[in-house]
Amino acid sequence: MSSEIILIIVIATALAFDFTNGFHDTANVVATSISTGAARPSVAIGFAALLNFVGAFISISVAATVAKDVVNAEVITPTIVFAGLIGAIAWNLITWYFGLPSSSSHALIGGVVGSAVAAVGFDAVIAEGVIGKVLIPAVVAPVLAFLVAGFAIGLSYRVVGKQRPGIVSRGYRYGQIVSGGLLALAHGTNDAQKTMGIITLALIANGNLGAEADPPFWVIASAATAIALGTYSGGWRIIKTTGTRIIKMDAAQGFSAQGAGAAVILSSTHFGFPLSTTHVINGGVMGAGAAKRLSAVRWGVAGNIFVAWLLTLPAAAAIGALTYGFTAIFGSGALGPILVTLMALSLVTVAFSRRARGGAPVEATGT
Amino acid sequence: MIATIVHTDELLQTIAASVIAGIGVTFLFSVGIWGAGQFTELSRSERPVAATAAAIVGAVALLCVAGSVITGIVVMTHK
Repeated sequence: MSSEIILIIVIATALAFDFTNGFHDTANVVATSISTGAARPSVAIGFAALLNFVGAFISISVAATVAKDVVNAEVITPTIVFAGLIGAIAWNLITWYFGLPSSSSHALIGGVVGSAVAAVGFDAVIAEGVIGKVLIPAVVAPVLAFLVAGFAIGLSYRVVGKQRPGIVSRGYRYGQIVSGGLLALAHGTNDAQKTMGIITLALIANGNLGAEADPPFWVIASAATAIALGTYSGGWRIIKTTGTRIIKMDAAQGFSAQGAGAAVILSSTHFGFPLSTTHVINGGVMGAGAAKRLSAVRWGVAGNIFVAWLLTLPAAAAIGALTYGFTAIFGSGALGPILVTLMALSLVTVAFSRRARGGAPVEATGT
Repeated sequence: MIATIVHTDELLQTIAASVIAGIGVTFLFSVGIWGAGQFTELSRSERPVAATAAAIVGAVALLCVAGSVITGIVVMTHK
């Protein structure tokens, strides 16, 4: 009975994580379209939420990586998965509070690895999977998006450089409806699958699924719904701050940045690489900006992203490990996870109320 | 050993697909806009043959963009 309670807590926590993932990332997905005037905020957000939902159904490769290639599912328990999720959520909350642009995806993987090491030891971690499918793509993907966007915009300016600005601007704004849609689709497919993978891992650990099982349909549908609802809710929250947070760029740059981001995320998703979609989108935006003028890029933001990237995996792993250690004090039953959930909810409430009183704008953490 | 850990083949295919799709689609879309721009300009200067040719080049480029996007999504859903 207690294992079923823990499983329910894990699934609820994972879906809450998915919701916050969509909530935080709306800005990254729609900002470029809104910035260039390609779409009104309400249209861009509704469109992004819908395509996030659809995107979650088009692949399960990333879910398979998270469920089977990061930690050894045979030695994992639902409590380990729960502690990992808490590690990720806590790190996201800390970075959100201090305005650090961190990656929710890296936090999730770091948290699960940390709690698994604390519970079972380093044998629980599949080093090849973590290095080959998480760490190396994490480095390659944003650089790739930067270069692709940079070359693409350079080529675009050469092709349309002598045309009348009006027709060029209108053309790329129409194009951004497609490129923005593809980016939202890519975001939905890569990010929702991480939650699917975590829930599948918990179901395998609890004995509800076999070790090689794919995510059941209800897991895919619930993860798709959670990220889409998060995107829609987050969108309305960010409208007030959009004007100050987005980089001003022309429609051609927006098209190139979104196209590069979507291409990198979709092709990586095909091979099951769980990326930080925020890092990839930011890489594309910086590449499109740098190709026109180096000073257009906010290099300070790039530095913050790099620092947060370095810290995220070890920090989330440490919190995941500590959380597992705390739950273990109360034995293997449901009491530990229930206490941690109550403490986490209290901390979230305090953090949100302090932030609300401070009046600071919401900063998006990435995935 | 290193090649096994790094998943070299999959990484290289990801890089190739990203470069071809990201740069290729943006280039083709730009050609589509160029075609529309040229069609407008040449029509104004009463050069209908050249205007039609530019419009055809632009339309073919935009069709290629649509084909690339559809192909990409179909590939994604078949693994």
